[in-house]
Amino acid sequence: MGHSTSHTTEAPLVTGNLSFHELTELVARHAEKKPPMIWYVAIGISSLMLLNLLVMIAYQVWNGVGVWGNNVPVGWGWPIVDFVFWVGIGHAGTLISAILFLFRQRWRTSINRAAEAMTIFAVICALLFPTIHVGRIWVIYWTLPIPNQMDMWPQFKSPLLWDVFAVSSYFIVSLIFWYVGLIPDLATLRDRARSFIRQRVLGIFSMGWTGSNRHWRNYEKAYLLLAGLATPLVLSVHSVVSFDFAVSIVPGWHTTIFPPYFVAGAIFSGFAMVVTLMVIARKVYGIEDLITLNHLEKMNIIILLTGSMVGFAYITELFIAWYSQVGYEQYAFINRVTGPYAWAYWIMMSCNLIAPQVFWFKRLRRNVPLMFIISILVNIGMWFERFVITVISLHRDYLPSSWGYFTPTWVDVMTFVGSFGLFLTLFLLFLRFVPMVALAEVKGVVPQADPHFYDRESS
Amino acid sequence: MIDLPVLKDAETPAPRERFWRSPVDLEGGLGDLHSGEFMPGASDRPGSASRRDFLRIMGASMAMAGLSACRRPVEQVLPYTRQPEEIVPGEPLYYATGMPYRGVLRPLLVKSHEGRPTKIEGNPEHPMSLGATGGFEQASILNMYDPDRSQRVLREGVGSEWREFVRLVQGLDGATRIAVVSPPTSSPTIRSLRGRLAERFPEMQWITYAPEGDDPSRTGLRTTEGRTVRPLYRFSNAEVVVSLDSDFLGPTEINLLSNTAEYAQNRRMASPEDSPGRLYVVESNYSLTGGMADHRKRLRSGDIPAFARALASQLGIGGLPGERATEDAFLHAMARDVQAAGSRAVVVAGDTQPPEVHALAAAINQALGAVGSTVSYLDVDDEAEFSQIERFAALAADMHAGEIDLLLLLGVNPVYSAPPELDFAGGMERVARTVHLGLHLDETGQAAEWHIPQAHYLEAWGDGRAYDGTLSVVQPLIAPLYEAAKSDVEVLGLLVTGMDTPGYDLVREEWSAYLPDDAEQAWRRALHDGFLPDSSYPETTPVLEAPSFSADSLGEEEIEVVIRLDPTVLDGSYANNAWMMELPDPTTKIVWDNVALIAPAMAERLGVSPKYDKGRYVVDVLEITVDGRSVRLPAWIQPGLPDRSVHLTMGYGRNISTVRPPRKARFFDLDHYSDIYADGPLANGVGENVSLLRRADMRRVLSGAEVKTTGDTWTISTTQEHGYMEGRPLFRKATLSEFREHPTFAPDAVPPLYGQEEWEDYPALWQKQHPSEQPAITENPYYENQWGMVIDLNTCTGCNACVVACNSENNVQMVGKEEVGLGREMHWLRIDRYFVSGEEDTDNPAMVVQPVPCMHCENAPCEAVCPVAATVHSPDGTNQMIYNRCIGTRYCSNNCPYKVRRFSFFNWTKTLPETVQMAQNPNVTVRFRGVMEKCSYCIQRIRGAQQTARLADRALQDGEVKTACQQACGMQSITFGDLNNPDSAVAQARKNPRRYEMLAELSVKPRTSYLARVTNPNPELEPQG
Repeated sequence: MGHSTSHTTEAPLVTGNLSFHELTELVARHAEKKPPMIWYVAIGISSLMLLNLLVMIAYQVWNGVGVWGNNVPVGWGWPIVDFVFWVGIGHAGTLISAILFLFRQRWRTSINRAAEAMTIFAVICALLFPTIHVGRIWVIYWTLPIPNQMDMWPQFKSPLLWDVFAVSSYFIVSLIFWYVGLIPDLATLRDRARSFIRQRVLGIFSMGWTGSNRHWRNYEKAYLLLAGLATPLVLSVHSVVSFDFAVSIVPGWHTTIFPPYFVAGAIFSGFAMVVTLMVIARKVYGIEDLITLNHLEKMNIIILLTGSMVGFAYITELFIAWYSQVGYEQYAFINRVTGPYAWAYWIMMSCNLIAPQVFWFKRLRRNVPLMFIISILVNIGMWFERFVITVISLHRDYLPSSWGYFTPTWVDVMTFVGSFGLFLTLFLLFLRFVPMVALAEVKGVVPQADPHFYDRESS
Repeated sequence: MIDLPVLKDAETPAPRERFWRSPVDLEGGLGDLHSGEFMPGASDRPGSASRRDFLRIMGASMAMAGLSACRRPVEQVLPYTRQPEEIVPGEPLYYATGMPYRGVLRPLLVKSHEGRPTKIEGNPEHPMSLGATGGFEQASILNMYDPDRSQRVLREGVGSEWREFVRLVQGLDGATRIAVVSPPTSSPTIRSLRGRLAERFPEMQWITYAPEGDDPSRTGLRTTEGRTVRPLYRFSNAEVVVSLDSDFLGPTEINLLSNTAEYAQNRRMASPEDSPGRLYVVESNYSLTGGMADHRKRLRSGDIPAFARALASQLGIGGLPGERATEDAFLHAMARDVQAAGSRAVVVAGDTQPPEVHALAAAINQALGAVGSTVSYLDVDDEAEFSQIERFAALAADMHAGEIDLLLLLGVNPVYSAPPELDFAGGMERVARTVHLGLHLDETGQAAEWHIPQAHYLEAWGDGRAYDGTLSVVQPLIAPLYEAAKSDVEVLGLLVTGMDTPGYDLVREEWSAYLPDDAEQAWRRALHDGFLPDSSYPETTPVLEAPSFSADSLGEEEIEVVIRLDPTVLDGSYANNAWMMELPDPTTKIVWDNVALIAPAMAERLGVSPKYDKGRYVVDVLEITVDGRSVRLPAWIQPGLPDRSVHLTMGYGRNISTVRPPRKARFFDLDHYSDIYADGPLANGVGENVSLLRRADMRRVLSGAEVKTTGDTWTISTTQEHGYMEGRPLFRKATLSEFREHPTFAPDAVPPLYGQEEWEDYPALWQKQHPSEQPAITENPYYENQWGMVIDLNTCTGCNACVVACNSENNVQMVGKEEVGLGREMHWLRIDRYFVSGEEDTDNPAMVVQPVPCMHCENAPCEAVCPVAATVHSPDGTNQMIYNRCIGTRYCSNNCPYKVRRFSFFNWTKTLPETVQMAQNPNVTVRFRGVMEKCSYCIQRIRGAQQTARLADRALQDGEVKTACQQACGMQSITFGDLNNPDSAVAQARKNPRRYEMLAELSVKPRTSYLARVTNPNPELEPQG
């Protein structure tokens, strides 16, 4: 940049003209000091919800899948809807960290840490559901290729098996990626730590980071490589999840549009969840200077973009159903729009396609309360999208004689609520113990990071 | 060394001469040492077990291991000390017997595993079964294993003993005024016991009581000599069949098996050249026979006598009162058709019709010359019995008057089913001694002084005659499950002789009259074959009394109520049978309820409409009033019903008492919910008892009823929520002329897909690498047979016998009303029922039924999506479900286009009562919760037959493997066999031009295929549907 006096100078990514030390203070102290009262309240509620999840799982494992609303023809109900919902949410983090990193979108630095953490926790929630939704959870490990005395392998043609691999590798890579990004910040915390145990623990996790040139060089390379590795995973994991549906022959599922449509939907819901969480966190932790309105606006633009993409996909599906002239397919979509579950379809349409359209207006997409509401709506809409796909397609397929209806039970609802407990508990623990903003990276994008910053200031 | 006191004691020798070494020794001063030279264990090698210990411990552990491996007490797993002849453990034996059913005997062959009957089949040698059964025979085995059967003799509700009862009977003198109420029976033993009873007690009254009312055919077909004749229809000879409210193909029909076998011959079509008959049905209900009709006319039951008279007059049988000219095009066309067919036509009258209509139908048949051609009349060798109901009413009056000393109720339940006017329960209170023999402590048992548990027919000796009169012995398969149980024959024997005579002796004694000289061998032969050959009733050409019509007819605005036997629980005797409770009604598909069926027009007038709510139907409750008495029943709108005709079925609203304690479950445990047996007898609290409406004459049709809404609603569970095909070619049908014009109409039916591309032009992906072509498959010995099934929709009536047979064979569990409502029924084989109509006549559609088992697709969509390979293809081309491997993802079910897969959402088998466990087929896995299951083509039967063939070193014969559904089917609508054998019946059936594969357009290549229905409408009339 040098002494450029160009009129195209970007607005600073971090406001408040904070020095490096102030930045460190702003972020790191939250992982060190006693958390605010509201944190205790929040974790109290979320751990109650988590406890409720454990009770629900125990209840289901003890009594059987019948405690949910699943039936024939709707073999997959809320657990699979919740699974796809959480996997979708688990998309934003790695997308922000990996893809935006590769695209040199430096604004990502303020939000990537929290978004990645959110990803990991969402994927944990997601992994939970397919695990507990099977009829005999005690033999769930048969889906893994473990050599065994039965001489049996999993059935590699099944999309469910691909799912096992896709989601678990996504989880592992996301976790490593997140952890690698954490190392310099953990070292910062270590250096600030006063108690012996804290020093040791952080010392172990920061892996002897000293901030030397060689460390930085290795770190940057590793981060770049991991970003390269994670990028295809971001696209593949939800494509594979969509194969669970697309590979089948159920009208409404058997659709080639599913992989891109699912990925777009996942990014959509993931960003919405990031907005939801960040809007609260930046306020509570006073980090509005780091996560500025500009950041939120950029995320809203992505929400608008991906929301319109999924909306386009919805309409394309309808068109293709008509254009295909396949009666079963046509009925499946007519049934979506006008059948007994039409309410779910229209909730989906209004939340996902219509609601984000307000972000065409700059004033509205910079309006924090509004974007909070929209982000919640998007998440509701995206949950319903999965409900529409899973349940509405299944409940009326080829033979009208087997058509049925699905109603969730209280266990379905409480299990889903419980999964939020798991997610929020993990997220609150993250806020408490880990720097919620990638300090080292943010320091690289503040104006002060310009070697000539102070020259400019003095001149 | 282990010191077991027991062992020590055992080793102590008896006192005898002692040897001693020293005085100290003699006095015992050496203490324990005197028992051996060394201390116990001193001779053992240190730290290890001695040979002795080793053997001892091994012996003990082997005994323990043996114990721990069995779930039942040890005495049940002991091997036979002396092996009974012919029993090979694991090899079932079959015994011929028969089931008493509505006054006839249904001939059976019962499968027994190590002395435990498990499955009922028809007797293939018997002309009245040909190996088939109805649903009731199949389900009757569960009646025996019913956990709520009464187990003790009770007196005044308190436990008593059979010998107490014997003492009571011995104390009776000849002047005792005895009344015996017996169900209709064909048993010669009972008949002769009845004669002997009349000798001992001259004032004895014997009343045959059928809860459905008198058999109008029996009372109507009266010869001038005062004898009874019984019609036996030969539909195979018929060109035109007219049913006047007769559901002769329906599940409750007395002569179902012969009727269906005959009718199937009438309808089976191998090529367009075959000419099927034509069936006209005039009826009030929508019966299965109505579903089979080429032309169906809906008329109130009360209007049908007039219709019958009009038909008769069209056919030139004049001189009938109330005759009137009619402009009915249907009637005229039908009458012309009947006239043209002449002796190849037949008119059948139904149970709801008064005796006059039966007599008129017989008169028409005689006038047509049909006797001997399409119908034969059998001389049932019985005095014509006039209305039993009148006698029953007289008995009730006698009881009230205190003129009966002892009332013996032989397995009947009049307190439940008799008309309330008669106040039977009140009458019983005025009888000094009331004795009830019954399987359950039912309503009558609770009112009686004495209750004696009845032995099930599989537990006791008896006899009877099939519909055609062929004699059979009812041979028990097992000793009574409850020691106190006695059979009707035994109780009567006690009354006759005053001695406790075993049923066997009574039956054997009676049978000596029927057996030729070499009696013992003939007896054994009869037992083995299940019937005495050439013992059927003689055919006769009866001179019947002319029908006399009473002038009463139904007013135009009058509402009639028709009460009939329930197609699943019959008169209530199957109400405590889970298989039957959960068996969908063949027309409405309702389970666990009885409803009032009304026409759409009537529903509209009453302002009732069912609301579809979360997979169930919330319907309005109607109050139906006859003569001031009313019942409240949920309204069910049945298209095709005539207006102002309300249809009710009997058998619900039971109150059985049981000694079984209710199940208590912990608060977190759903065992109480998932156990249908949890709250005592499952019949209790289900539906309403409609006999409360009945008049003393026990007519099935009650005129002058009032119907009004109550404002209440009731939730109904059905197994099929949607009855229209949505324009999809699932069930295919054509008229005969269309078929002749276009013989391949069925395979050519257009699926709802764009264009008509030939599938052959687009070979399936990976066809060359298809698993079925791989060496692992082709080199397997099972590869020789490729199984397939063809279901003929031309003959299938949807009677449900196959469904019950499948439940029984494959240990299919019942789940209860709630769970069926949630869509979790477990039936492996279901019968889809669709209504077919044009746009205008939606309230009078045609009805078609289609059994749907697993299709065993060659490109099975379920197999590809299972992550653990729990559902795979066998080398013999069946799609198999490996329960042990299944983890329960339910993906296979989602991906099954036919939705034939069933999932155990709860552990249905964990809570099965012990007796119901005994009804399970040991050759089929009893499934745990969390696994998928589905039709297996009865793979256990396939493998069993293959083993038998292999042991005999011969090839498997066609027809040797029969699936349970196929075996039960009276129509033989199901053909099953080896597709590799070009001569097999199934290979032949697959050449039928009517054959089509449902959803073939999905390229799943189903192994189960259908033969489309061909109707034969009268060209003069609009075809229906």
